[in-house]
Parts: sequence; structure tokens; C-alpha cells
Amino acid sequence: MAAIRPDILRDDQARADYIRGVRLLKHEPTTLTTDRFGISGRARPVYTYDLFVIWHVLAMNTAVPPGGDAGTRNAAHRGPVFLPWHRVMLRWLEAHLQRVLGDPDFGLPYWDWALDGTPPALGGVANPAASALWRDTPDGFGGQGSPVRGGGFAFDRADPTSFRVRIATDSSGALRQVTERGLARKFGQNAPFGSPRLPRTGDVRTAYNTRADPSLADYDRPPFDVSSRGFRNRLEGFTGPGLHNQVHLWVGGDMAPASSPNDPVFFVHHCNVDRLWERWMHRNGRQYQPDMTAPPNLLGHRIDDPLVSPFAPASKPDTPGGVLDVSALYSYDVLP
Amino acid sequence: MQPDTADPSQPAFLATYLAGLPQPEHEHTGPARSVREDDFDGHHVVITTTYEITVDGRPLDVHIGLSNDGSAHCHGLPAYQLPSLVDLVRVLIRTFPDEFSPQPTPGDGHDGHDGHDGHDGQHTNDHGGAGSSGHSEHGDHPEHGDHSHVRDHGDGDMHGDDRPGGQ
Repeated sequence: MAAIRPDILRDDQARADYIRGVRLLKHEPTTLTTDRFGISGRARPVYTYDLFVIWHVLAMNTAVPPGGDAGTRNAAHRGPVFLPWHRVMLRWLEAHLQRVLGDPDFGLPYWDWALDGTPPALGGVANPAASALWRDTPDGFGGQGSPVRGGGFAFDRADPTSFRVRIATDSSGALRQVTERGLARKFGQNAPFGSPRLPRTGDVRTAYNTRADPSLADYDRPPFDVSSRGFRNRLEGFTGPGLHNQVHLWVGGDMAPASSPNDPVFFVHHCNVDRLWERWMHRNGRQYQPDMTAPPNLLGHRIDDPLVSPFAPASKPDTPGGVLDVSALYSYDVLP
Repeated sequence: MQPDTADPSQPAFLATYLAGLPQPEHEHTGPARSVREDDFDGHHVVITTTYEITVDGRPLDVHIGLSNDGSAHCHGLPAYQLPSLVDLVRVLIRTFPDEFSPQPTPGDGHDGHDGHDGHDGQHTNDHGGAGSSGHSEHGDHPEHGDHSHVRDHGDGDMHGDDRPGGQ
């Protein structure tokens, strides 16, 4: 049975299960140690949740195609594969959550951040930092701070079962070990350090308005990078009001650097990004650009190119085209 | 019992896959270098830009990239695309404060900024509880002792230092 992904603020059980599952993965050894991933320092155990931090960092440092510039496009960001690659990553986390929760029907919840970013007069909340998501109770994510001291991911150095950050990046984007510490968040910083507001529902609506911008009916357009017109780049946030990028910047702290999956809000944020993409495909068809006629400098971003995912070396690799229809695996309770 | 690296549902499967990925290169020597290319009216344009960036006199070993609109980005901050390289360095300083801490003197017990154990480069101060405005108690410009120096070698379109940053 396909999982149904719920709104994290409307499904208390899903939110509690997500927090419990993340904490279980955070303390589940993988049998591999940090040295196997080229992380300097004494070899220490790597836990399942932290694999997703490593995966994100490696993918965004991987130039696609090989020999290119990861700053132009990489295996996870700044180009067409942004949405397919994160879809695959989320599905892997969801599968591991289903396993440790013993619930094959568990659906990864999404955070509809645009509702929290919308002012009360427009149907939203007065203060996004006071959203129910950030409750300090065990069924909340805790608020901001360094470390975050409340909620299900609070840090307590004396409690080895509490949530902790073990692997991060340095300023060059390289993986590094850190002394185990708590999460850091710093909401709503001004530019250039962050974003003073979350995206609003109107910003999301505008991303579907093909009358105002006909390019939004296309998934992506040349030159297929951060300057492109089209839906992918609007949702990734390098054009328009910011959307995906803006959420990372608003949360701040551990959501800012390449190791942003350290904050469990990363996955419920990206689940909402995936939901917005799914909505776009309902309106515009399960289309993707570029196709396989695109030039070699787009190798790795074309519709049938293998993604940087564990199935890439297999006979049937994950590709952008292969993940456009996921209805056999999951669906969303509501599309915007 | 051996870990099952053939069963995708087991953590060892993903772990073994990730351990086998090529390790990215992070070592850069000399000035940061960015190459932009453009095809225009039948002409192929290549613009190579190099930067020497120091913070408190120490070289900043960060791969800076420039997009064709002149905005700057780096691997360490994937969600940032800033019109000002000065702003980018400021964000790096704020995000990785321990990498920009004063250089240790012999015998003071510190281990430099090379990423050794026990040296977490992020967020070591409490910045207030939920519901605050989120503005830094240090102000929004890092005018608290850091001195960054960005030398532009030949890029004529980086004039954005007074433009608003962020997304």
C-alpha cells in the first residue's frame, strides 16, 4: 500500500512518529566509521541518520558532469536534478523510518511553511517563530537556540539518548567531525545572513501562475542553472521570492550550511518542496527538461541520466524520468 | 553477524554505497578562481576571475563561484547566492566562527582551524529563545573584530556591495 504523506501540523501521530523514528535512526549504528567516508580525525561510528548528512554533502560537492564545476551545477542542486535527487533522498529516509517504526505505511510528513509565513490578515499566523511546529514539548521540534533546548530534538550532554550533531562541514563544504553538540537554529535573520520572513502562500501561488510567467509551465529552461526561468529554479529559489532557499535561510543555524540535513526540519521542509513539485506536475504534466538530446555539459541532469543514488550502479538506476510518477510509493493528503 | 550490504533496507547498504563515492577535492592553492563562459552572437566568451581573500591576514581557502549575473556562491553555503562577495565572506565568518578565531599561540591548548576533533566551527553561543525577532545581538554586520580583505583581480561586474543580499 502506498504511504500517504500528511501535514505535520494537522497529524499529531505522524509528527510524534517522525520524531521517534529520527531519534531511533540517530542512534542506530551502520557498522561503518567516519574514516570510510574520508572524514579526518579518529575513526568513530557513523549512525544511520548521519548518512543522510554525508549523502547531501557529497552530492552537492559532486560536479555533474565529472570534471565540471560543482558550483555551476552539482548532483543535487543548482540544476534540473534538484527536485528528482531530493525526491530519492526523502524516499530513502522514509523507508528507513518505516523500518525502525515497524510501520510500512508510515508517510513522511510535510511542513507547509507558506502557511506559517503568511500574516494573520491573509490567513496565516502572527509569528512564524511561534508556530506549533517549534513547540518545546516532546512532540515538537523545539525552537531556536544554540543548542536547541526544547522539543523532541533537545540536546542534553548528560543524556546519551538525546539528539546530537556529530558530522558537519567546514567553510569549504568539506565533511568534518564535530564534538557532539546540539542543534542550532536562528530564525529570521536579516540579509545577508538569513531571511527575515518565510515564503507566503501568495509566493507559492505565483509559482504556478503561467499567465504572469509562461516559462513556469516548463519544468526547466536553458541554460539549466541558477539563472534559468521555469518552475524548477523558481521552486529551488534562485529566481522569484526564494521559496526553498528562503526556508533554509529563515531557519538558519544548522539549516544554512551544506550539512543542513542535520536539522530534522530539513526533511519536512523538503517534503513540502516535493509536494509543491507534485502539484505542479498535476497541472502541467509529468514533464522534465532537459531531454537526452541536451549537450554533454548537461550530462547527469538529463531525463534518463543516473542520479547520485545507491541504485545508480545497478541495471535500473534512479533517473529523473524514473521518479516523476511515485504514485505506487506515496501520495500527499492534500496538494496546494 | 556480518552487516547486510546487499539488502537496501539495511543501513549498511546505504553506508557502503556512500563510502564508495568519489571524495570531492577541497584543497585549493593560490587565489580562488572562477571561470564563466557565454556564447553571444556567435562568439564564445570566457571570463576568468581570481580572488585573493584574507581574513585577519589569513588566506580564505574557499572555492568561490561567480554566476553570469556577477553574484557569488560557495560550496559551504548552498542556499546562498549573494550579489556581494563581501557579504559572502561575512556569512562565512558568522556561520563558521571557530575557523576565524584568533590564531593560537604556542601552548595555549588550541589546535588551529584545521577541523580536528573537538573543534566545532558552528554556533557555539546561545542566540535566544523561540519567538525573538531573530536579529543578532552582535548586530547584522560582523564589525566585532574580524577584518576581511577581498582583492578583485579583474572582474569588472562585481559592483554589488551596496545591494541587498540574501534571497
